[in-house]
Amino acid sequence: MSRSTRHSGPLPPSDRAPVPRMSRRAALRTGLFGAGALAAGGLLSGCGPADAAEVPLQFWSPLTGGDGALMHRMIADVHKAAPELAVDSTALAWGRPYYTKLAMSSVGGRSPDVAVMHLSRLGGYAPAGLLHPFDLDLLAEYGAGEDDFIPRLWKSAQHEGTQFAIPFDTHPFVMFYNIPLAEEAGLLDGDGRLKPLDSAEAFVAASHRMSEVTGDTGTAYGHVNDPAQAWRFFGGLYGQTGRRLDLSGDRHDLDHDAALRVFEFVAEVFDGEHSPGTLNYAAALGTFTDGRAGFFISGEWELPGLVEALGEDLGALAMPTFFDEPASYADSHSFVLPARDTTDPERFRAAHQFAALILKNSLTWAEAGHIPAYQPVVESAAYADMQPQAGYRSAGEKPVLDPRAWFTGAGSQFHDQMSVTMTVNLIGDGPEAAVESMDSRLTGLLAKENPIKGGAR
Amino acid sequence: MTATAPPRDRAPAGPPPAARSAPPLWRRVSDSGWAFLLPFLAVFAAFMGWPVVYGFWLSLTDSTLVRTGGDFVGLANYAEALGDPLMWQTLGNTAFFTLASTVPLVVLALVMAVLVHSGLPGQWLWRLSFFVPYLLPVATVGLVGQFMFNQEIGVLNQATGADVGWLSEDSVALWSIVIATVWWTVGFNFLLYLAALQSIPDHLYEAASIDGAGAWARLWSITLPQLSRITGVVLVLQLLSSLKVFDQIYLLMGNNPTDATRSILIYVYDTGFTGYRLGYGSALSYIFLAIVVAVALVQTWVGSRRNKGAAA
Amino acid sequence: MSILTPAAGERNSRREANRRQRSLILGRSRLARGGAMTVLVVMALGWLFPLIWATNSSFRTEADTVALPLQWIPENGFTLEQYIGLFEVGKVQLWMTNSLIIAVAVTAITVAVSALAAYAFSRMVFRGRKALFALTIAAIMVPPQLLIIPLFDQMVALNLVDTYAAIILPQVVAPIMVFILKKFFDGIPRELEEAARMDGAGPWRVFFSVVLPLSRPILAAVSIFVFINAWNNFLWPFIVTTDPSLMTLPVGIPNVLDAYGTVYARNMASSMVAAAPMIVVFLLFQRRIVRSVATTGLGGQ
Repeated sequence: MSRSTRHSGPLPPSDRAPVPRMSRRAALRTGLFGAGALAAGGLLSGCGPADAAEVPLQFWSPLTGGDGALMHRMIADVHKAAPELAVDSTALAWGRPYYTKLAMSSVGGRSPDVAVMHLSRLGGYAPAGLLHPFDLDLLAEYGAGEDDFIPRLWKSAQHEGTQFAIPFDTHPFVMFYNIPLAEEAGLLDGDGRLKPLDSAEAFVAASHRMSEVTGDTGTAYGHVNDPAQAWRFFGGLYGQTGRRLDLSGDRHDLDHDAALRVFEFVAEVFDGEHSPGTLNYAAALGTFTDGRAGFFISGEWELPGLVEALGEDLGALAMPTFFDEPASYADSHSFVLPARDTTDPERFRAAHQFAALILKNSLTWAEAGHIPAYQPVVESAAYADMQPQAGYRSAGEKPVLDPRAWFTGAGSQFHDQMSVTMTVNLIGDGPEAAVESMDSRLTGLLAKENPIKGGAR
Repeated sequence: MTATAPPRDRAPAGPPPAARSAPPLWRRVSDSGWAFLLPFLAVFAAFMGWPVVYGFWLSLTDSTLVRTGGDFVGLANYAEALGDPLMWQTLGNTAFFTLASTVPLVVLALVMAVLVHSGLPGQWLWRLSFFVPYLLPVATVGLVGQFMFNQEIGVLNQATGADVGWLSEDSVALWSIVIATVWWTVGFNFLLYLAALQSIPDHLYEAASIDGAGAWARLWSITLPQLSRITGVVLVLQLLSSLKVFDQIYLLMGNNPTDATRSILIYVYDTGFTGYRLGYGSALSYIFLAIVVAVALVQTWVGSRRNKGAAA
Repeated sequence: MSILTPAAGERNSRREANRRQRSLILGRSRLARGGAMTVLVVMALGWLFPLIWATNSSFRTEADTVALPLQWIPENGFTLEQYIGLFEVGKVQLWMTNSLIIAVAVTAITVAVSALAAYAFSRMVFRGRKALFALTIAAIMVPPQLLIIPLFDQMVALNLVDTYAAIILPQVVAPIMVFILKKFFDGIPRELEEAARMDGAGPWRVFFSVVLPLSRPILAAVSIFVFINAWNNFLWPFIVTTDPSLMTLPVGIPNVLDAYGTVYARNMASSMVAAAPMIVVFLLFQRRIVRSVATTGLGGQ
């Protein structure tokens, strides 16, 4: 069953929704039934959207639990603002299962109208032709555009200059602390805020002080058997050395000295004496919520649970700048338009409207701890009043995202492999071996045949 | 069931000889074996024959999910597979699962069938208990399994006071999957054994008890030897179905199996769909197909030798 | 196979047969009987427990499902809230309908196509018969699970991904059923067909009016077996559907999650809903199902 080569070509003319690219089969069909499709297109644009008939909108996300509940609320808000949007929302299991189904649905041609994608995953989808670009004019009609976003984040949502994703949050790796314990350790200034920890030495000293106060653990951090926590920590700190890992070519450019600095610093903090380097995710979380640790390093998505456990005692801040420049590892939930065989202009438009409406309602989303990507929300007084969310707001300004490659991103093999190196560092042969391990793993990943090179459906 | 079909005497006896010698072409076609075979041949060719051929072709290319019609790469995918530690690991997991599940699935089924066949009261209940899990969709098995195996709130740990990560510890997880599989599918083998037991003629037992053989002796001298043929069948069916394990591992592991629990078929799925590499995934499928066919042939060969031996 | 012969007689004679059986197998020893009974009871309890526990948990509030220590009677009493919530969302009904449509279609097509082919292999003379039959036998060894990649790709090329046709068609290829049916047809005395043929009936008439009526038990057995497998099939429907509104029960329930998180009570309720249809069917047709599984399952030998 040989397939014809794919063409990309314009959709049947429609003054409403110019869709820049189309799938192979759609192109094929245009070839075969060109005239008919044109006629249908003309007909469609003839009836227009003015009649307030319901527009069905299939929406997929990997959001469950607290995130899922908040998304549900935001969708309800969308429905209030635009009752004609009939959003049918589907949640699939986070990570591999979700991203596999998303790709398969695009390939199959009957994909959802709009879906959530971690921005870190864009490298495996946009170049593969699995996504439709956004129509920025259309988005602007609904009140959202480039100016509403941090430039770096906006650019991260592009592939070769085309906007394939619209971010609606950043969810950085941050630092939590226990306010009473910090006070006891003498780490607060006169205003009750944490004194600056802006060097590796300063933090090591502070963590030691904390461990004296708790009599147990200074800083809690769980990474053992976790497929991502170690990479998230490392990625941000490596960014603080001024380096960005580049995986776009055939070879990686891991800077061994910078990586060693990071690993050595981490090994110093988690020396097994003041803070254990052998915790898993749940154990680290438990240590901190029980008040046995003063600092806790994890994702901001833990915020709702931590607030419940510690209440007013909880403080949070963007990852302090231990090295040369501020940077926080982060990922970003964003909207994408999965490629489809046929794009109904009404639904295409509705997807833009939906994305814009969620952006505007994303103050709700901040309750989960995520930093809204839509700057008008972040700059609002309401957001400034949200504590401790506002405390790590700056983490959204200098996000370090995953290096772009077909194999990187949330829930990917890449995270898994990189995270193993932290075990080498803290439990195995130490920092130098960890750097070597990372280097060879990166080489191994890049040596794999790139399945999306040279073509798109 | 009455076996006689009432002949209809509507048709005139002895059709005209001319018609017999030269029926019209459409009649010759529609009355031929090919006409009866056609529907099956059509679906067979389209959904088995073609995929087998096409899959083999794919395995010689670097086709991907997002870009098909890839280039011919010869045996490169097969060469890569032989050096792929993950393939060996998942094959190892599959072999482990197959052995660990086949033994209890055959032995327990036999024990159940012999006990039920003994005619103890409650026949209906026993059959129901052992067979009903087999009727459950794997979705139910996966969700109930996750619930019961849960380390914190699962009934298994709670009832026994243990603190085992049934599905979260790599060294235990595959065993837990075996346990769930035995629970789920043993009913099928149980029924096969039950059917076989019922076909053992009573006079064998009667003769043996006249000779003074006790219940235990009758079990060893009559029941088990009489079941040896069916055991061969059950064993083949079980081996082949265990080798193809996918569903319960995938779902018990929360749609995200670890390397320690992935079966080869899951690795094929991950390679072809998650990793987009249709060509390489097809090559993995064919390597596995070779193993499955080899197992089936060896079984057939052993079976036929044993039959010959028995006949001699 | 004695299991195939229609259950002769009433409950009494069955009870009598059981008694006979008991003395033949276990002898008169009280110890043997007591021991066998104990083992049976323990095993049956072990086999029923997961279902009982899951059912019990499905009638609870989420809090009671995860409350420790576990109790048989939940603190807040039993409730239907999980089931009500499940049906309110509405996807379960949809999936159940899909499952039914698909399983019925797969069964009907498989049985029709396989019976015709089996009859051709059993009775008709034509060129290529032997070779084609050998091919069919060989195909029994090819597990369809290994064809997921080429089949999916084929469905993409045919533009059938996320359609009923894509879910149904690959499932109707059942060489093993052709084999089982052929063996049965082989056993039908030819004289019966000869009589009809003498009356001028063509092969189609003979097939429909003579052979099929005689084959009702085996057709029922094959249908039941195919239906169970189609209803519970996971892998292929899972691969070829991504649209949640086209999923079957076994695919939709574990893959489409409740946006509010992993909730065990709800999971148990959906598990039970997924399991219920087959269990009800089994309770209604126990004997027939047991017989059909035994017959068709053994066909593989």
